[in-house]
Amino acid sequence: MINSIKFIALTFPVFYMLKKRSSYFLIAVAALILSVLISGCSSSARGKYFGKTVAPTDNVLRYVTGSEPETLDPHISSGQPEARIYMALFEGLVEYGPKDQQPIPALAKSWEISPNVDEFIFHLRDNAKWNDGTPITANDFVYSFRRAFSPEILSSSAELGFFIQYAEAFKTEQVFVKNGDAFLLSKDFGGDEPKPHVAFGPETDFNKFIHEPARLTLEGDEKARAKQIEADPKLKAAVNGAEFVPVKAEDIGIEAIDDYTLRITLRQSAPFFVGLLAHQFFRPVPQHTIRTWGKDWIRKEHIVTNGPFRIKDYRPYDALVLEKSPNYWDAANVHLDRLEFYPLEENSTILNLYKAGAIDAFLNHSVLTSWTEEVRLYKDEYLNFPEASTAYYSMNVTKPPFNDLRLRKAFALATDRVSLSNYRKVTKPLYDLTPSGIFPEYDKAREKVSEEIRKERGIAPEVWANYRKFDPEEARKILTEAGFPVKKNGDTYSCPNFPTDAVSITFNTNENNRGIAEFVQAQWKQNLGITVPLKSQEFKTFLKDRHDVQYVGFAQSLWSGDYMDPYTFLGLHYGYPNNGDAGFNDPKYNKMLDDANAELDPTKRYEMLARAEFYVMEQQPSVPLTINATNWMKKPYVKGMYPNPGTLFAWKFVYIESDPAKWDHDVENIMADSDPQFERQLNELTATQKAVTK
Amino acid sequence: MFSFILRRLLMIIPMALVVVTLTWGLVRIAPGNFYSGEKKLPAGVEATIRKKYGLDQPWYTQYGMMMSNIVRGDFGDSLKYQGQSVNEIIRRHLPYSATIGILGYLLALTLGLTAGTIAALRQNSWFDYGSMSLAMFGLSVPNFVLGPILVLIFSFWLYLLPSARLGGPLSLILPVVTLAAIYTAYIARLTRAGMLEVMRSDYIRTARAKGLDERSVLLRHAIRGGIIPVVSFTGPALAALLAGTVVVEKVFAIPGLGNIFIQSVLNRDEPLILGIVAFLSILIMVFNLIVDISYGFLDPRIRYE
Repeated sequence: MINSIKFIALTFPVFYMLKKRSSYFLIAVAALILSVLISGCSSSARGKYFGKTVAPTDNVLRYVTGSEPETLDPHISSGQPEARIYMALFEGLVEYGPKDQQPIPALAKSWEISPNVDEFIFHLRDNAKWNDGTPITANDFVYSFRRAFSPEILSSSAELGFFIQYAEAFKTEQVFVKNGDAFLLSKDFGGDEPKPHVAFGPETDFNKFIHEPARLTLEGDEKARAKQIEADPKLKAAVNGAEFVPVKAEDIGIEAIDDYTLRITLRQSAPFFVGLLAHQFFRPVPQHTIRTWGKDWIRKEHIVTNGPFRIKDYRPYDALVLEKSPNYWDAANVHLDRLEFYPLEENSTILNLYKAGAIDAFLNHSVLTSWTEEVRLYKDEYLNFPEASTAYYSMNVTKPPFNDLRLRKAFALATDRVSLSNYRKVTKPLYDLTPSGIFPEYDKAREKVSEEIRKERGIAPEVWANYRKFDPEEARKILTEAGFPVKKNGDTYSCPNFPTDAVSITFNTNENNRGIAEFVQAQWKQNLGITVPLKSQEFKTFLKDRHDVQYVGFAQSLWSGDYMDPYTFLGLHYGYPNNGDAGFNDPKYNKMLDDANAELDPTKRYEMLARAEFYVMEQQPSVPLTINATNWMKKPYVKGMYPNPGTLFAWKFVYIESDPAKWDHDVENIMADSDPQFERQLNELTATQKAVTK
Repeated sequence: MFSFILRRLLMIIPMALVVVTLTWGLVRIAPGNFYSGEKKLPAGVEATIRKKYGLDQPWYTQYGMMMSNIVRGDFGDSLKYQGQSVNEIIRRHLPYSATIGILGYLLALTLGLTAGTIAALRQNSWFDYGSMSLAMFGLSVPNFVLGPILVLIFSFWLYLLPSARLGGPLSLILPVVTLAAIYTAYIARLTRAGMLEVMRSDYIRTARAKGLDERSVLLRHAIRGGIIPVVSFTGPALAALLAGTVVVEKVFAIPGLGNIFIQSVLNRDEPLILGIVAFLSILIMVFNLIVDISYGFLDPRIRYE
C-alpha cells in the first residue's frame, strides 16, 4: 500500500508538468520516475517469506518443472523436466528415495541380487494396476524393456541399459553368426572369458540360453559388417559360409519367471544396477493400449498410466494437470489431490510467479545469479544443496598443445576453483571427476586411498593437502619446463611462446557460461600471462564440435549423474568414444574400472574406483571447475519434498501443511529434521525390502 | 482488379515453396541434429536413428520426400515433440498468439491513430510534443524492460494483475499493453507524419473551399489519405504479431507460436521449422495483398493493372 502511494505521489508531478508544455522537463521527470521505480524493488522491506505465502486450500501442488516435455512416453525422453513428470505418472520396479535417491521399493516390493551381482530377481506386488484397472504383471516389464530397446524407439537413454545381456546388440540391430548348428562365441574373438555360472532362481530354458557363453555379435548393416569382417582375418575365415541371424527382442536378458517374478541378467556385474532402474527408461508402459492406439497412446484421451497420479488435463506449453489416481495400489498414501506442472524456462518469470504465490516450488538452477543474494536470505525457502552434477573444461588431448600432459597440468593448477565458486555464489570447487558430498561412502574410500598414495610417495600431509589444487607458482614452473617460459614483468606475467591462437575456451551461448569463461580467462592471464580467446557457439553447433572433439583447447562441459554411484562420473573417460569429449582413451584406466566393477565387496570396489579416479585425474583430461548446487525454492507449507542430488521427487511423499506451526523452517537442516508422517511412510514402504536383506 | 488478385494469389504458392526450400537448405547447413544432446549417442544408436528418419539417403531424395509431403499440405510430425503433427501444433498455439497480437494491435491502432491525428492537427502544441515524446519513449524502451516494470507495478506493488500465465481476461492486460506500446508509438508517429502531409495537400484545400466543415474534411477526406502509411505498416506487422512475439510470450509465459518457432530452430526440429516458416510466409503475403487492395479504397488515385 505504501508503495502504491509512493507511485501516485511520484507520477502526480508528471501530469502537472504536462500542463506546463515543457517536453524536455517532462522527459527528465519521466527518467527520474523510472529510475526510482527500478531502484524501488531493492528498497522494499523484507518479510519473513518471499512474497505471498498462503497454503493452497484445495490440496494442490503447483510446480514449475522446466522446458515443455518432449513427450509423455517415458522411454523416449531422457530429460530431467520429463523425469519429474514420469515419476508422477509411471511407476517402475523401484523409485528414487526422496532424500538420497537410493532405490526404494515401488512396483517391486523386494529384490534379490545374485552372488556375481550380474543377475537380479524382482518380486512384484500382486495388487498393482494400470489406472484403467488392468493388473500389472511381470510380462508388462518384459514387454516394456523390449520396447524401450527396440530400434524403433528413439531413446537417448538406451545406453544406460546396455549392461543387460544383448540389449545393445538388439538396439543397434546387430546379428549373431550361426555356423552350422552352433553360434560363434564372443570369447573366441577377443571377448572376455565367461564367468562360471552360479544358479540363481529357477532354471528355465531362457535362463539356460542367457547363461550360455556370450555369442559374438556383428554389425547389422551389411557394408559396416563387411568392413568389420575384412579387418579381422580370423573372423573372416570363421564367417565363411555362416548365416547371420538378427538379434531379437526375445534375446535380451529379461524374463518373467511367473506373473509376479521378474529376472534380469546382465552381461557384466554392475552393483549400481538396481539404482539405475528408477530411471524413466526402465518404467513400464501399457502394452494393451499401445497395441490399440500405436504412437497415439500418449494422447491425453488415450493415455493409461500406473503411477500415483493420472492425467486430468494437458495443455502443451501451458500446464499439465494431474490428479490422484484412485487405482494406484498405494493410493491411501498419496497426499496431494492435484499436481500441476507448468512448463516454463524464463527464470525471472518463474521467480515472479513464485513471489506472487502462483506456484509453490520450482526446478533446480532457477534462481538468477542477480537474485541469489536476496533470495538466499529466505532461510525457510531457499534450498542450495550439493548436486550430482559437475562443470569442467574438457581439454582436447588429441591436438597440440594439450596432447602434452604437462600443459594440461599447468592450466589446471593455475585455476583457482575456490574463488570461481565464490564468484558463482551457489557452487563448490571441484578437483576430481566425482563430486564430493553426494556419495558419502565413496568420499571415505577416496580419503583412504589418497592417504595410502601419500604414504607410498612419502609426501608430507600439509603439502599433500594442496596437491592438484590451486598452485600458480608450480603451474608457471611446469609451463617453463615444457618449453613455454613464463616471464615476470613487475606484477604481471607473460608467456610469449605459448600458441594462444591454437587454443580457445569454447562454450555454448549463455550468460552463465560466459561469466565462467571470462573468470577463468582472467585467472590464466593473471597467473600464466596467457590470454586464451573465448568462443561462444549456439548449443547444437557447440555440441557437434565437442562430441567430435573438433574444438581447440578447452570446451565447457556439464555432467549430471544418471544414477547414484560414482561410476556414472568415472565412466566419462571410459572406452572410446566416450562422453568425456577430451579424446582421452587409456587402456590402463579402462582396466582399472572393469576390475573395480567386477569386485563384489562394495567397500573394496569403491577403493578400487577411487584409485582409478586418482590415476585418471593425474592424466588430467579436464580442468574440473565446480560441483553444482540445487539452487531452488519451495514454499514452507510444502512438505515431504527434499533437495536430493537430482531434484527428483517421489510425489506420493509430498503434502501441503495448512498449519503454519508445522511448516518447514531453516531448510538448511531439512535433511536431518524429523517429519513423523514422512518417516512412517518411508519406513512402511522400505520394510518389504529390508525383510529380504536381513 | 479481379485478375490482379488472382495473379497475386497464384504467386503465393510458388513463393512459399521457394521460401521453404531456402529454409530447408539453411537448416541442413546448420551443424547439429535434432537428436544431439549433452550426452553423446553410441554410434550404433545414432546409425539406427539416421536410418529411421531417412537421413542416410542422398540429399535430393530427402528433399524430394519433404517437398512431396509439403505440397500435399502435410508437414509431418515434429521430431522433438514426438507424436504431435506440425499442423496440430500450429493450430493449437496460433489462437494464443493471435489473441494477444490482435488485441495488442487494436489497442495500438486506437491509441496511435487518435494521438497521431490530434498531434498533427495541433502541430507544435503541448499535446503534440507530449505525445511524440512519449512515442519516442515507447519506441526506445524494449518490451523485455517494459514487461517486467509493468509486472513490478501492477502485480507486486498494486496487486491488481497476475504476473504471468494466461487465465481470465485480467491476465491479458499486461501482455497486451506491453506488446501494444511499441506499435502505438510507431503508429502515432506514422499517422502524424501522414496527416501533416495530407492536410497540406490540394484536395484538402479544395474540400475546404467547397465549404465543407472541418469535421467532414477530416473524417471523409483527410483520414483516408493520412493513414496510408499506417496501412502499409499494418500488413507485415499484423502477420508478425499473429505468429507470436517471443519476448512477450517468454515474460508472461504465454503458449504462443513465437516461442515455439524459436525453440524449433534451436532443436533443429526440421518439420516444425518448415511448417511455421511456410505458414508465416503465406500469412505475410496474404496480408500484403490485403494491404495492396485496401490502397484502392483509401486513395482513388491508385489503380490496379
